[in-house]
Amino acid sequence: MSFFSLILKNPFRNKTRSALAIVGIAIGIATIVALGIITDGLKTSTEETLKAGGSDFSVVESNVSDMFLSKIDESYINKIKSVNGVEDAVGVLTAIQPIGGNPYFVLIGIDPNKLDISNIKITKGKSFSNGSAKEVIIGKVASEKLNKTIGDTLTLSQKKYKITGIFETGDLQQDGGAFLSLENLQDIEDKPDKVTMIYVKIKKDANVDEVTKAIEDKYGNDVTTIASLEDLQSVDQGLNTIDTASWAISILAIVIGGIGVINTMIMSVFERTREIGVLKAVGWKNRRILGMILGESIVLTLVAGIVGSIMGVLAIQILLPLGMEGFIKPVYSSDVFIRGFLVALIVGLIGGFYPAYRASKLPPTEALRYE
Amino acid sequence: MNNQNKDQNAEIISNNKSSDKKTSKNIVEIKNLKKSFDHGKITALNGLNLEIKEGEFVSIIGPSGSGKSTLLNMIGALDKADVGDITVSGIDLIRKKDLSDFRSQEIGFIFQLHNLIPNLSVLENVEVPMFESKISGKEMRKRALELLDYVELSDKIKRKPTELSGGERQRVAIARALANKPSIILADEPTGSLDSKTGQVILQRLKELHEKENVTLIMVTHDMNVASLADRTIEVLDGQVQN
Ligand SMILES: Nc1ncnc2c1ncn2[C@@H]1O[C@H](COP(=O)(O)OP(=O)(O)OP(=O)(O)O)[C@@H](O)[C@H]1O
Ligand SMILES: [Mg+2]
Repeated sequence: MSFFSLILKNPFRNKTRSALAIVGIAIGIATIVALGIITDGLKTSTEETLKAGGSDFSVVESNVSDMFLSKIDESYINKIKSVNGVEDAVGVLTAIQPIGGNPYFVLIGIDPNKLDISNIKITKGKSFSNGSAKEVIIGKVASEKLNKTIGDTLTLSQKKYKITGIFETGDLQQDGGAFLSLENLQDIEDKPDKVTMIYVKIKKDANVDEVTKAIEDKYGNDVTTIASLEDLQSVDQGLNTIDTASWAISILAIVIGGIGVINTMIMSVFERTREIGVLKAVGWKNRRILGMILGESIVLTLVAGIVGSIMGVLAIQILLPLGMEGFIKPVYSSDVFIRGFLVALIVGLIGGFYPAYRASKLPPTEALRYE
Repeated sequence: MNNQNKDQNAEIISNNKSSDKKTSKNIVEIKNLKKSFDHGKITALNGLNLEIKEGEFVSIIGPSGSGKSTLLNMIGALDKADVGDITVSGIDLIRKKDLSDFRSQEIGFIFQLHNLIPNLSVLENVEVPMFESKISGKEMRKRALELLDYVELSDKIKRKPTELSGGERQRVAIARALANKPSIILADEPTGSLDSKTGQVILQRLKELHEKENVTLIMVTHDMNVASLADRTIEVLDGQVQN
């Protein structure tokens, strides 16, 4: 028998108690994992929105708490176009409306001649025409969900829009939504001459850092450039809040899980007082007893890490279709699971240390007298 | 108990620590040892003096509460004395700090209650003390199997302690005590919870071990018949050895 297999045997002596402790910690880990998967999904789709197709960076309103609330005057499109190194600038208005059971139906208003900046592929029919003609193209997912195709109509703000084409972008949010002319969406949203952001494409020989700096220097009071997700996070409060919230929840999970582990391990040590006396009598060092109890604690929390990761993934797969589908595409990165296991390990170490220390310091005769 | 495995017996405990026949060397030397409990309210050992020779079989008798177990715990370094001197196997137990090596290498304990670990098999229970010795897992297993063969439990190595009789459990405890080839075996009423017939078997095994392997055996007992098996019987009264 190896020392390791001895450690593996002990946590499951009292199955009910261990199972309860594992479930308690697993719920915390599941929360961390599920939140991580959603946050990563949110970041990825935001990044996709930011760096649409052929653009190099985007321009949004400065000092705005959430990207969706950004509002820039259309006149900036031409101002930015005239900045040195800029090849093209395309204004886009985004809006979210509840349509056909999807509370987050994404509407994107754009000049149809500039659609290529959006990585868009029209798979059926043709694009909408510019100006005020009531035409729209809808995403593949939206087409399936709404059960509508070319020739059907989509009602937006009590006006009927003719569906002229079906598109695919690969982005879940966009494929669940629709594109229409900028003018029409400005009308629907009652935001005349406004855009949410401007996608900027730079000339081949230009440098992103230099161009963004030139724009910031000139128009920095009104607009901000965003070339990466990090840039966005310094602007967008929403993403920051989610990050802070997942940290707070992780810490809460550590504290609650830690208390559960301490409690479980103290009970376990208490019940085995006499046994620990025997181990000392046969010559075990304090260190080994400490290592055994700490090891048992870590075994418990690592099992909880596995159970919690599975629970987290299941929760995402069960809950997402109930309301968030089409808005968030879960991203299962290994980072999320590594974080979950790190938390489990920390909980095991912190929660196991005190009981292990107590066990290692038990006077052998007292322990042996224990009934 | 018949003895079909004589060859193996020779290896059960023989080591360089106590290979020679009885010498005049003292393995235990205790001078004026005092130990009290409850902040001095209870005096368990009251200036006790005792010398035990290497390879001796000593039984300790005395009324309940006279300090027999306390004395045994002192010899096995499970507890520290308040005052006095105690040297076992040449090690000063008062002054030495970490005594786990001493316990692991020099002492084998047998308790009144077997004190086996319930979730481990018989074989694993015998392996437990060997974690502190430097031998490999394979050697641990080999040694444990030898010892279980010696106490004639080869057919029950996979069982849990609860699936054994009282006498069998105590035999496992003997095997466990021998695991690290100790120089001294300390037995605190090893037959105290067994019927006399089963107890006889255990005592036979211990006595044989003492005679063949020259191990020093110190045994606490209430039973005068049991005590008379020893080379020498000492009586403890009120924390002192009676002359
Ligand atoms: N840990 C302890 N705390 C308090 N008192 C103790 C402790 N250990 C022993 N004593 C007391 O010390 C005295 C000697 O105890 P000890 O166990 O050595 O007696 P004993 O001779 O082994 O008795 P028995 O034959 O009943 O086993 C007793 O009065 C006992 O109550
Ligand atoms: Mg006693």
